[in-house]
Amino acid sequence: MAKKTSLYEYAWRLPLILWQGLFFVGPLLLMVAMSFWLVRNYRMEPDFVFNNWDRMLSRDYFWNAYFVTFWRATLAAILASVLAFPASFALAFRASDTVRRWAVFFLIVPFFTSYLVRIYAWQVLLAESGPLNAIIGFLGLGPFTMLNSGFGAMVGYMTLVLPLVVILQTFSLAAIDKSLIEAARNLGANPRETLLRVIVPAAKVGLIIGFVFAFILSFGDFVSPFYLGGSNPPTLSILIVDTTKSGQQWPRAAVVAVMMIATLFVVAFAAVAAAYRKRS
Amino acid sequence: MRIGSAISWVYVAALFAFVFAPIVTSMVFSFNSDRFPTVPLGEFTTHWYETAFSRPEVWTAFRNSLIVAASAAVFSTALGFATAYTDFRYGFRFKNAYLALALLPPTIPLVILGLAMLAWLARLGLSGTLPGIIIAHTVMGAPFAMAICRLRLQQMDSALEAAAWNLGASPWRAMRTVVIPFCAPAIISAYCLTAAVSFDEFIVAWFVSGLNKTVPVMILEILQGNVDPQINAIGTVVFLTSMTLVILAQLLILRKTSS
Amino acid sequence: MSHSKITLTRRGLLASAAGAALSAPMVNRAWAADPVTINMLAWYGHAEPDVVEEFEAENNVKFVPKYYAGGDNMLALIAQSPPGTYDIILSDAEFVQQLNAAGYIEEMDASLFPFDDFYSAYQKFPGHWTDDQLWSVMVRFGLLGVSYNTDALTAEEAMSYNAFWNPKVTGKVGHFDWHLPNMGQMSLLMGNRNPSPFDISEDAWEAVQEKTLSLKPQVGGYFDYGGTFSSLKNGEMLAMCGIGDWITGVLQKDGAPVASVIPQEGGIQFTESYSIGKGSTKQELVNKFIQYMLSPRGQLRSIQMAAYPALSPTKSGWKAIQEANPAEAERSGLIEGHAQSPIRLLEEQRVFFRDIPQQQSLEDWNDFWSEYKTA
Repeated sequence: MAKKTSLYEYAWRLPLILWQGLFFVGPLLLMVAMSFWLVRNYRMEPDFVFNNWDRMLSRDYFWNAYFVTFWRATLAAILASVLAFPASFALAFRASDTVRRWAVFFLIVPFFTSYLVRIYAWQVLLAESGPLNAIIGFLGLGPFTMLNSGFGAMVGYMTLVLPLVVILQTFSLAAIDKSLIEAARNLGANPRETLLRVIVPAAKVGLIIGFVFAFILSFGDFVSPFYLGGSNPPTLSILIVDTTKSGQQWPRAAVVAVMMIATLFVVAFAAVAAAYRKRS
Repeated sequence: MRIGSAISWVYVAALFAFVFAPIVTSMVFSFNSDRFPTVPLGEFTTHWYETAFSRPEVWTAFRNSLIVAASAAVFSTALGFATAYTDFRYGFRFKNAYLALALLPPTIPLVILGLAMLAWLARLGLSGTLPGIIIAHTVMGAPFAMAICRLRLQQMDSALEAAAWNLGASPWRAMRTVVIPFCAPAIISAYCLTAAVSFDEFIVAWFVSGLNKTVPVMILEILQGNVDPQINAIGTVVFLTSMTLVILAQLLILRKTSS
Repeated sequence: MSHSKITLTRRGLLASAAGAALSAPMVNRAWAADPVTINMLAWYGHAEPDVVEEFEAENNVKFVPKYYAGGDNMLALIAQSPPGTYDIILSDAEFVQQLNAAGYIEEMDASLFPFDDFYSAYQKFPGHWTDDQLWSVMVRFGLLGVSYNTDALTAEEAMSYNAFWNPKVTGKVGHFDWHLPNMGQMSLLMGNRNPSPFDISEDAWEAVQEKTLSLKPQVGGYFDYGGTFSSLKNGEMLAMCGIGDWITGVLQKDGAPVASVIPQEGGIQFTESYSIGKGSTKQELVNKFIQYMLSPRGQLRSIQMAAYPALSPTKSGWKAIQEANPAEAERSGLIEGHAQSPIRLLEEQRVFFRDIPQQQSLEDWNDFWSEYKTA
C-alpha cells in the first residue's frame, strides 16, 4: 500500500517544494549572496567581500533607521493590540454569532481595497488645509500638523494592521470556554480579575499572534512612513528603496534586507516561544 | 452592565469608523470636483472617471491586472490545495520544514520580496514580463489558498476517502470523486481570494513589472507623479472588482455550510 | 438540482461580466493599424499626451513611459533591464557621460539636428560630445533656486538660501528627495562659485555638510515629484529646497500662492537631453521625434509641459513662445535682453550648470544625503 501510494503522495507534496524552492527560497538566497557582491560602474559583479556589510553596519544612518523602524513597529503593535482589545472583547462576548460574522466580514473588506488608495485618502484627510482640520477649525482649534510626522505614519500603520488584529483577537477570545469565565465569577472574582487572570491568559496565543503580525507588517511597510510620514525620518524599507535607486547599490540594499529578515525571525520566534510557554 | 455594554458598542462603532474612513472618503472624493478636497466639498463630477478611463494605458493596466490575477490565482490555488491535502493526509520527516516553506512568504516584507524577486527573475529573463508578476503573486497567494483549503479538509471525515479506497477506487479516482467535490467551495473561494490579493498587490509588482504595469502600479505612479483624484476613481473601480470576488467567495462558502 | 442552476447563472454572469470588461476598451477605442510602441525612460510627464499626442497621431506611434526621479535612479533602472529595453532616454545632462561610459547609449548623427538654431552657450554642452562624436541632444532646461509660499515669506526674504533657516518656516521646509540639486544649493550658499558649486575641495565639502545638517530642525519632509507638488500646494510645506519654477510654475497656474526666485548666491541650471538607448531597433523614429521636439512646435509643448515647464535652448523656440504665449515668455524671461533671460543669468554667472561632484564621488554625496535624512 505504502509503495503503491508513494507516487500519488509525492505528486501532492512536491509542487510546493519545487515552486517555493525555485521562486521563494531561490530569490532570498540570491539576495543573501548578493550582499557579498561588488558594484563597479553601476554593474553588479559576483564576489565574496564584506565591504557592503562593513559599510552599512558602520554607518549611523543605517542604525538610526533601524531603531526608528523597530521603535515604530513596536509602538504600532502595542497600540494596535490595545486599541483592538475592547472591540474584540465586545465582539467576542457581547455579540451574537450573526453580528460577529458580519463584523468579521466587514473587517476583511479593507484588505480588498487598495492600501495605497486608503493612504492617499488619509493624506487628503490629514492635510493642514484638509477636511479634518477644517472640522477641528469649526470648534475653534487647530490647525494641527498631522502629515509628515510620526503621527501620520502611525495612522497609516493602524489602517494597515488594526482590522487584522481585531479579527485575530476576536477569534481567540470567542474560542474561550465560557464555563471558565462563569467559574471565575462564581468563585468571587471581580470583572477585572476575571479579565486579567482568566480571559487574557486563555486567549494568550491569539493576542500574541495579533501583536506579532502587527509588528511584522509595520516593520516592513514602505507606504505609510513615505506618504504619511514624509520619510522624516526614513525607515528601513525606505532605505532599501533609496539604496536601490542610487547607483545600483543592490548589495547594500541586500544587507539591509537580511538584517530586517533576521530581526523579524528573532521577534517571531521569541513571540511564539512566549505564546506556548507554560501552556495550561 | 447596560452602560458598559453601550460604551463598548460605541467604541466598536468608532473603530469601524476609523477603518472605513479612508475607504468612504476615497469614494466620495472620486466624485468631488476639487483636486485637493476640503470641507465644504466641491461639486459633483464624473470628471476623474472620464479622465482616468479615457487613457488607453489605464485599460492596458486593467487588462494586465486581470490576466495576472486570473493566472496567479490558478497557480496559487493548485499549490495551496496540494499542500493542504499533503498536510491533512500525510505525516513525514521534515514536515515542519515543509509547512514553514508553505507559510513563511507572508512574513517577508514586500519591499524585500520585490527586491529579491527582481534580482532572481532578471536572471531567468522574466523581469518586466507578466509571467514574472504571475510567479511572484503565486508565491504570495499560495499560503492563503492553503489556509482556506486546509480549513475545509478539517471538516471532511477522513474515513470517507479511505472508504473509497477500500471500495477499490484508485487514490486518483477517490481524489476526483470524493475529495475535490467536497473541497470545491473552498477551492473556488481560494481562487477568488488569491485573485483579489494579486489584483491589489503593488510593491512586488512595482519592482518586477518594468513597462508592463498593473493597475495598482499605475496608482502608485500617479501618486509619485501628478497626484490627482483619478487615484480615487481607479481605486473605487478596483475596490468594486475585488469586492465582487470576495462576495462571490463568501456566498459560495455560506451556501455550502448551510446545505 | 436548484444549486447547479444557481451556479450556472452565476457562472454565466461572471463570464459575461469578464467578457464585457475585457472587450470594452477594444470597442471604445478602435485604433488604426497597430501603432509602433516606443519605450521611453524619462522624468515624470514626458510621455503624457500634452507632449506627445501630436507626434503620436502624425506618425502612428505610441510612447510607453517608465518614469524615474534623479540620475542615479535612471542608471539603476537601465542596469536592471535587458539591453534594447528603452528606445529613447531623457537624461539629466550631467549623467550623459556616465551613460556613455557604461555603454547604454548609441552614437547620434549630429547632422540630423539643428544646432545652428541653438544659442551658442548650449551648442556644445559639456559631456554630450566626445571630440566630434555626438551622444546626446539637449532639449530643455530650467533653473533651480528658492521656492516658497508667498503668504509665508516675502520676495526679499527669499532672495537668499538663508530663507530656509527663517523661523517663519520652521518644520515646513521640504526637500526634493535627490542629493544633487539640494547639495548644489547648499554649496552655493557657502560661496562655492568658482569654478562651480560642484567642484569643491574636501574642506569646502565638509563645510557644506555641516551647514546642511544645521538645517535639519527646519525640515518637514523629503518628497518625490508628486509629494513635492502636493505638499507645496496644500500648504503642508512653506519652502522647498532643490526645486524651482518647474514645480511652482505649474502650481501658480492652479492659483497657489507660491513662487521661485534665483537668490543672490546664484541658481542652478538643470538640463535635460535625449539619447538613443543602446540596441534600440527604432532609431529612425526616435531621431524623428527628437527633431520634432527641437522644432518650434515641439519646443512650445516642452516650454508649456503640463507636468513641469522648462526653458528652450533654441532661438526659434523663444520666438515661438513669444508669439504663442507672450505672458509666459515674459514670465520665464525667454526674450533676448530680458533682465531674467537665462542666457543673461548664465553670462553674469548667476546660474551654474548642475553637475556631478568633481572632487568627491557621487557615492560620497549620496551617502551624506542618506545620513542627513536620518539625522
